[in-house]
This record gives sequence, structure tokens and C-alpha cells, in this order.
Amino acid sequence: MNAERLMLLGGVSAFVLTLYWVRSRQLRERYAIGWMVLATILLLCGIFPNLIMRFADAARLSYSSAVLFIALGAMYLFSFFVTVSLSRQHRQSARLLQEIGLLQSRLEKLESRLEDRAEEVDRENGQAHNGQRVRAISAVPEVNPRIPR
Amino acid sequence: MDTSLFACAQETADESARFLSVGKSCPKDTETAHKRTLVVIPAYNEQDALPQTIDSLQSLPANFELLVVNDGSTDDTALVASRLSTVSLPSLHVISLPLNGGIGIAVQTGYLFAVQQQRFDYVIQFDGDGQHDTNAIGQLVDTCERYDLDLCIGSRFLPESLPGFRSTWLRRFGIRFLAWLISLLGGARVTDPTSGLRCAGRRAWTIFATQYPDDYPEPESLFWCIRNRLRVGEIPAVMHERFTGASSIHTLRGAYYMLKVTLAILVDRLRPRECAAG
Repeated sequence: MNAERLMLLGGVSAFVLTLYWVRSRQLRERYAIGWMVLATILLLCGIFPNLIMRFADAARLSYSSAVLFIALGAMYLFSFFVTVSLSRQHRQSARLLQEIGLLQSRLEKLESRLEDRAEEVDRENGQAHNGQRVRAISAVPEVNPRIPR
Repeated sequence: MDTSLFACAQETADESARFLSVGKSCPKDTETAHKRTLVVIPAYNEQDALPQTIDSLQSLPANFELLVVNDGSTDDTALVASRLSTVSLPSLHVISLPLNGGIGIAVQTGYLFAVQQQRFDYVIQFDGDGQHDTNAIGQLVDTCERYDLDLCIGSRFLPESLPGFRSTWLRRFGIRFLAWLISLLGGARVTDPTSGLRCAGRRAWTIFATQYPDDYPEPESLFWCIRNRLRVGEIPAVMHERFTGASSIHTLRGAYYMLKVTLAILVDRLRPRECAAG
């Protein structure tokens, strides 16, 4: 197997891999674009092997494998921006973590106040019921005299 | 360092506060009893040490409130904290983060809480493991108030500091290096940049609520304050050995700590000043 076939295989598998991950919604299209471009370049290099040679000549790079260093550079940039994005994500998730903690503590306070208030209301209602019962009992004599009529 | 300032700080015999940053000030006679202060206690797996820490804070006057930030502990810290909140004399709030975020994120949650509540003048960071001395709390607020400081640090290494737990020689060397770096790049002589005992005034904590380093935040945030001309000071403080548990900085992480903090300080020096001098 020569280098061209290897690149062809690499290009095809990069395509399949990217499409598979995007299809299963585990990779955002935003990042998939970069990988697709890379896969296309690999494929083109595999299909047209003298492309690298021509590029090396045109760019006055002394040997064609130097072109691969450019590819490595591209990979470097890509991974670099992945870590930048990771840092941003980290900050965002930290902020969310804090917000959840703050909200949870407010919720717990509210719940306990609500419970206290509910108990208070229950107690007041209980007193009111008792009061009514007392009134009802005291009202009985007033009602009773009418019964004989 | 501004020597006239230092002289000003030394004029008062009882006062051993030391100024680090720019600005002109002489002690004011102020009443701190009405200054509402929040004591933030970050706690990660501190179920054993927390009751003692909270107990030591029970003598604080009514203008102090406590906040335990449980940083996603895997033990019963949350339960212990909520039980303590029902018996604590100064009101004790508890915030539990669902995951472990690191000390910086836990402390910043305290600053965010202060922003939300809007009733605090000062926010103090006080470790949950019993290393810090309760007496320092009042002194920190007094010093901030008297000298109009934005940030006041409890230092183990001032000449006036009483002997206490000062860490291993390797860590002391690291602390010295960071102190030297901050002094060199910030132009103010600091002695204990890694101290987690610190009192932030409103100007500092509103900024800390929006930007604060996630891990090992103390030296970096101190340097940021000095660089951005916030008024910073130090008072002597004594620290005890931890009640229980182990410090969150192990020997292997020490190298990462030094590298990360040094890089952060160097990079911060490259930034333009972000805050106008007050």
C-alpha cells in the first residue's frame, strides 16, 4: 500500500466518521465543516497523487513531505481552537454551576418559608374552627327556645 | 511602595496594617458595627472540620452573616451545614454546588451571593478547615474601614505576625517566589499572596463576582487588584494547623500551582489596566 492509497483511505474514513457523528447529533455542524475540509484535502491528495508534488514545486518546498508539515500545522491550529472553545465552555459551565447553587438555596429558603406560613395558616384556621364551634354551642340555647313553637 | 503611606500606617501605635498599593490615606475614626459583612466559607469534604469552624464564629456580632459554599462535596458536608444553619447565632446561609468546581468557583459563588443580596459592605473569605483565626475577622473589617481599603489580606509573614502554622519550607519558598514576582511586576511589596484569609470591599467583590480565577485564585486576584490600582493592605494574622483532612494542594500539584499562577500573573501584566483608579 503506498502513501496515496493511504491518504485515499484516510480521506474516505474521515468523511464517513464525520458524517456518522454529525448524523447521530454528537458533533455540531460548526466543527464538522473543518473536518470535512480536511477530509476533502486528504481525498484529493489520494485521488491526484501528483497534486502534492505540484504544490511542493509551486511553493518551492524542497521535498513533497514538507507539505505534510503544513497539514500538521492545520491540525495544530484546529486542536488549539478546540482548547480555546473548551476553556469558554468551562467558564460557562462554572457559571451555570454557581447559578444552580444560588437558585437552589433561594428555593430552599422559599420552601421553608412557605411551610412555616402554611403551618401558621393551619394554626389560624384551627383556632377559627374552634371559635366557630364555641359560638355554635353558645348559639344553641338561642335556637332551643324556638323549638316548642 | 509608597513610603509616606507606610509611615502613615505606622504612626498609629496600635495599628500594624501595611499598605501595598497606591493611594493616599490616613486612618479614619469609623464605626464598623453597622457595616454588614458576609463571611464566605468554602467547604469541600469538610464534614468533620465545619462544626468547629462555625462554632468558632458564633461570637461574631449581629452585623455578620455566614455563608457556607459546599463545593460539590462527596461526604455529608451539605447535611452538616444545613443542620448548623438551624442553630447558628449569626445567620448561616448554605449554598450547595451540584458538582465540584474548585476553590475559585466556590468563593466566587459567595461574591455572587453578595451581589444578589445587595446588603453587604464587605465579603470575607474564611477557610472551612479551621486554619484561620476568628479574631482576624474583626481586624480585617476595621482595617478596611479605617484605611478605606478594597482588599485586606491576613498575612502569616509580616514581622508582627505571631508564630503559628507557616507551612512546609518548600511551600514557603513558593510563597516567597510569588510574593517577589507580584512585588516586582505590581510595584507593591506583598508578604503572603497565597493567604486565603482576606476581606474584600464592595469595589473589589463586585469585580470578583464577574471575574475570578477558577483554581488557586489568591495570588492572581491580589495581583489583579494591585495592577488595577485598587487599595490593598495586609494585616498580621496567625494560622493554625488544619483541624482535619488534607490540604487541597498536594506535592505533585505544587509544580502545576506555581506554573499556573506564574503564567497567570505574567499574562495579566500584559493586559491593559481594566479598572480606573478610584
